[in-house]
Amino acid sequence: MMTKALIEHIEGEASLYFDTRGEKITWAEIAFPHFRGMERMLEGRKATDALVITPRVCGICGHAHLMATVRAIEAAYAQAGYPVELTRKARSIRELTLVLEMIQNHFKWLYLVILPELEKLGVGGISPAPLKGAYAAAQATKILALFAGQWPHSSYMIPGGVTCDPTHLERIQAAGLLDELIGFFEKETAGVGLDALLSFASCREFNPLQSDLGRLEKGLIATEMHKKGMAYDRFVVLGEHGFTVRARLKHTRPMKADPSQVSTEPAVCRDETSHARNVRYGKHFYEVGPLARSISADTALIKNMHRRYKDSVYTRVMARAYETAVLLQHAKTLLAELELSEPSYVPPAPLERISAEGEGIVEAPRGPLMHRMRLERGIVAEYGIITPTQWNLGSSVMSDPAPAQKAMVGAADIAEATFVFRSFDVCSVCTTH
Amino acid sequence: MRSRLFKPTLIWLQGVTCNGNTHSFLNLPYLPQLLARFEILYHPLLPCSQNLEEIARCRRGCDVLVFEGAFDPMMERAGVTLERLVAYYAEEAGHVIAAGSCASFGGIFKAAAPERNSGLAYAGEHPDGPLLGKAGKVINLSGCPVHPEWLGFALMNIAEGRPISVDALGRPTALYRHMAHDGCLRNEYFEWKVDAEQFGRKEGCLFYEHGCRGPLTHASCNRTLWNGVSSKMRVGTPCFGCTEPDFPRRNLFETKTNMSIPEEVPVGVSKRAYLTMTGIAKSFKIKRLEERLTDDD
Repeated sequence: MMTKALIEHIEGEASLYFDTRGEKITWAEIAFPHFRGMERMLEGRKATDALVITPRVCGICGHAHLMATVRAIEAAYAQAGYPVELTRKARSIRELTLVLEMIQNHFKWLYLVILPELEKLGVGGISPAPLKGAYAAAQATKILALFAGQWPHSSYMIPGGVTCDPTHLERIQAAGLLDELIGFFEKETAGVGLDALLSFASCREFNPLQSDLGRLEKGLIATEMHKKGMAYDRFVVLGEHGFTVRARLKHTRPMKADPSQVSTEPAVCRDETSHARNVRYGKHFYEVGPLARSISADTALIKNMHRRYKDSVYTRVMARAYETAVLLQHAKTLLAELELSEPSYVPPAPLERISAEGEGIVEAPRGPLMHRMRLERGIVAEYGIITPTQWNLGSSVMSDPAPAQKAMVGAADIAEATFVFRSFDVCSVCTTH
Repeated sequence: MRSRLFKPTLIWLQGVTCNGNTHSFLNLPYLPQLLARFEILYHPLLPCSQNLEEIARCRRGCDVLVFEGAFDPMMERAGVTLERLVAYYAEEAGHVIAAGSCASFGGIFKAAAPERNSGLAYAGEHPDGPLLGKAGKVINLSGCPVHPEWLGFALMNIAEGRPISVDALGRPTALYRHMAHDGCLRNEYFEWKVDAEQFGRKEGCLFYEHGCRGPLTHASCNRTLWNGVSSKMRVGTPCFGCTEPDFPRRNLFETKTNMSIPEEVPVGVSKRAYLTMTGIAKSFKIKRLEERLTDDD
């Protein structure tokens, strides 16, 4: 019998349809009902208008969409024979603001979604404090806004660089705010210094921690999430950044990843029209996101967790929470190394000369985000977006389930299955766009 | 003034949206204090006492309805159309807040589906939404997204029982009487008609060639800074006019000009007078405005 569950408190909603034997989940299908037509509305517009429109795909990762758009336009320039010159400074500022968007995402997910949901599974002592997540996220976006003007929905990355022209005043303000945020993370979230946390090599090191991360770790073990929610143990990282490495991984074994192997098809759900799509690399489904990034970046602690508990909910959740620490450290390095003497922007050739295709790939908070566009004399002729949640949360047939489907099968009941679902950090608005 | 003990009930519903207004609101510095002034029956991310399925049953109204996103009558939330949800809760509520430009005028998602989507009381600048008859209770907080402080201002006034005066498009005058230009750090360049020439520099005005709508846009972005620290223009990005009913316009990074004078002149200024003034202003050569402002590089 199919049982429907409406999942909310994600970005939008999703419907889950479960087949059960007793309480146990034997099959699950996923539908994302809301479609908005973002790609179509770009057609016929000047490519630079996409810098304003695409951040509006998603209220929580709009900055990643902005970066994917600007990279796609710059790739089209290159293909047309007019390579765009980017200074190190422009690259660093773009990466810094992207990293800060990821940090706010992870804080919100941990405090507004995962800890409250874990408590609902009957774990004592979690004492979720959702507003901590909002506070920490707001601190991160404040730093971001010093360079990008605002968050959400800024458009400060443009072909050739960034529009901002920060001075040491902003750099010092940003460094002060970042130190404060790190202080909050150490005291409230981690219960241990950032350097110490980053040197953790084994899950055992969480044992003495009296902190939100410590309670999360204990709660995941108490609910046996280290034995549940395995998907394919295959991962993909496609965005090129300083905090991870582009690769395709089977277990922890890395291989070359070629974005041209990525394809999509409509998602399958028998009981409801879903506007989601399934994304594959070659013929196969792969998991994306912080777990993929951590393994690809050879993060000792996450690899230790993976050795013990494979790609379980435990490893997936801890990888996302732990990535906050990695990103805070990376933001600190980027800020310290920021060379303000270079230009922010090097004017590219006139856009009207560009008739070409371009692809921009970025690691968004939930995994690789790909924008592909075809330009005719600078005007968008076609635009395509592939989002991370489409990789993880597709819905396919029983003989070939998408990662989240595979992870939910075998869950003890619907409550547990929906927690498994949330472990992927669901974004409905990105999934359908 | 209402007593502090009275806690208005609040429901936050979403239409066709990106969730940007929800996330913008989470940046409000006094969020915990504001939430304490309301009984939150439903919010898409924050802790609340009911779930979406309970809300969709339409059994109990609320004092304040916050609506985010464009209105598409046929769109469903928990199996119930927005047409029914909005009609039910707007009838009951004393105040309806259209949070963001999509809810106010249709915004991005009206542009994506103009035949279906609108704002609550307006479609673009035309009074043509489902709550047209109740336009008196709809407060339009346009902006893509809504500035968290604007939403904080409206909700705190409601909690305190203070009236909110609005302009012809239903936007609070205290927030939208200013132009986005007001408080812009580039105002001196604007006055003397010195263009930015290129992006990536803090010097020069973005109005003349780079598409900035600051002098044409009702918004207080440069008075109440975004995230407490900045604004688009402060980081050299033009204002795209996101609080106005015609957002999103086309060719957003360009200014349409006529004989090198912007085709649209600042709100309230006669075009002929502006042309004359521009000619005079341009005849000044102000050395200070031709130099870089800092020696950081």
